[in-house]
Formats: sequence, C-alpha cells, structure tokens
Amino acid sequence: MAHLFPSAPWTAAYQAAVNENPRYAEAGKEWIHGPVALVVRADPAIDLSEDMAVLLDVHAGQCRAATYTTGSEARSAAAFAVEGPYDNWKTLIVQNLDPIKALMQGKFKLTKGHLPTIIRYVESSKQLLASAQHVTTEFRR
Amino acid sequence: MGKLSYESRIELAPGAENNGLAAMMSSLILQNLNDKPEKRADFAKLRGRVAIVAEDAGVALTMVFGGNMLTVHDGIVGVPDVTVRANSDDIIQLSLVELTRLFALPNLRGEAMRQILDKSRRGDVRVFGGLLHLPLVLRLTRLMSIH
Repeated sequence: MAHLFPSAPWTAAYQAAVNENPRYAEAGKEWIHGPVALVVRADPAIDLSEDMAVLLDVHAGQCRAATYTTGSEARSAAAFAVEGPYDNWKTLIVQNLDPIKALMQGKFKLTKGHLPTIIRYVESSKQLLASAQHVTTEFRR
Repeated sequence: MGKLSYESRIELAPGAENNGLAAMMSSLILQNLNDKPEKRADFAKLRGRVAIVAEDAGVALTMVFGGNMLTVHDGIVGVPDVTVRANSDDIIQLSLVELTRLFALPNLRGEAMRQILDKSRRGDVRVFGGLLHLPLVLRLTRLMSIH
C-alpha cells in the first residue's frame, strides 16, 4: 500500500524502513547527536499550507521514534534540520540522490545543526535518506 | 554569514547565496574556527585564492583568503593559486583528513588521507598549483579538517 508523502502514515513506514536497513544500523551506530528533521517547505498547490517535517529520533543506528509535525515544531525539537522544496524531496526519494551532492547543489539546506558533525557521519546521513527508497510512496505531484 | 569572537570575517560574495557548496564551505570553516581556536593561527596567515570544483555536482566556488578574512564566491573567480577538482564525496573526504599530533600535518597514515592519495593517483582528485603553494594547501587542509 502506498503512503502519501509527506504524511503521518508515510513517516511511520519510513521509520520501519530505517530500522530494517542494515546499512543504516552499521553506519549510524555511533550517532548520538540528537534528532534529525527533514523539512518540506510549504507548497499550497499540493495542500502543504505550511512547512511540514518528518522528525526522526535517531540514536545508535536505530530510529526510536518518527513524528510527522510542522516545520517549526520539528526545528525546535531537532538537533539537525535539512530543508528543501517538495519537488527536491521527491527527486531525492525517487532517484536516490546523493544528499551531499544535493546539499552542494543548493537543493537542500542544513538550516540547523553542526556541519562538522554531519560530515563526520556522512555515510549515516546517506543511509538514513536512502531508506526512503524502501517506502512505497504516493506523491502529491 | 556568522561571527567569530575576534576580529575576522567570513562572508559569501553576492551571487553565492544559492551555491550550496559555498554555503557548506563557509559554514564548515566558521564552525571549525569556533570549535577549535588553535586553527585561528592558520586562518590569520592564510592569503590566497583557492577554487574548489565539485565535478559531479556541477558546482564550483572560489575562496579568497586575506588574513582573518574569507570571501567565498560562486564559481571560479580570478586566477586561483590552487584549484581542487573532485567529486562531491571526495571534497567531503578532504575535511575528514586526520592531522598529526605534532605540527598538525595531514596524517599520511590516516584513512581519509590514504583514500585521497589513492584517488589522486587515479586522477579522481586533482589539485592544481598545490606544490607551488604548499603552505597555503597545508593551512587550508588544517582549516577544513574537522579534526
């Protein structure tokens, strides 16, 4: 069954996909630096009237909780926040874009968090986002 | 862009605001300087123009160092003293270079440096002007390294 992106059911399926990804479990096992927010910028054309986010409580290679919430709440709760427009998130998921390359191209921005830490755990970041490919996703556009 | 606690400046030149690589490099250097004050001596002595080209991402920047001052430009601006051409993963790898305890030199036995040297031999990472501007390269490596 396909889950609408972004949404609470998609977020729950994404948490499961992260926890079923052995490469993330390995790459992320030393991550103890706090939750990560993936923020989708508001896009009224697809019923996103405000920034919405997937807030991932990732710790030591596991996703302990995943919450679908507003961008502002996620930014407050997260230690790290990566933000971008809906179309870029769709491309990242569908094409399994390299998130580092996408950051360099300006497709996403790290709006909160310590960049040297993200760099130290670059493989963990890649596997976290690669897990989204394993979620059966219905896109709004 | 950001502040340091002493007289210094790191800024994005007009037009570089949408260059993700420029934003990352300036943030990285700023945060490294705040996290590790011992790197400030290198920042104070750094003078020169360094271009970095992320070939797979199609993005480039030019960092102009002027002793405690850094301006990051979109694209290649002027004639760089040093140009680094590599894929985005390898550019990140440059900031993972471990430093020796003595003199904080790039640790040739470290995993990151060994990978970079391997890729240099294969031509995946290319540094132009590095030998002519060795002090610049060494100081920049220390500044960019997260260690």
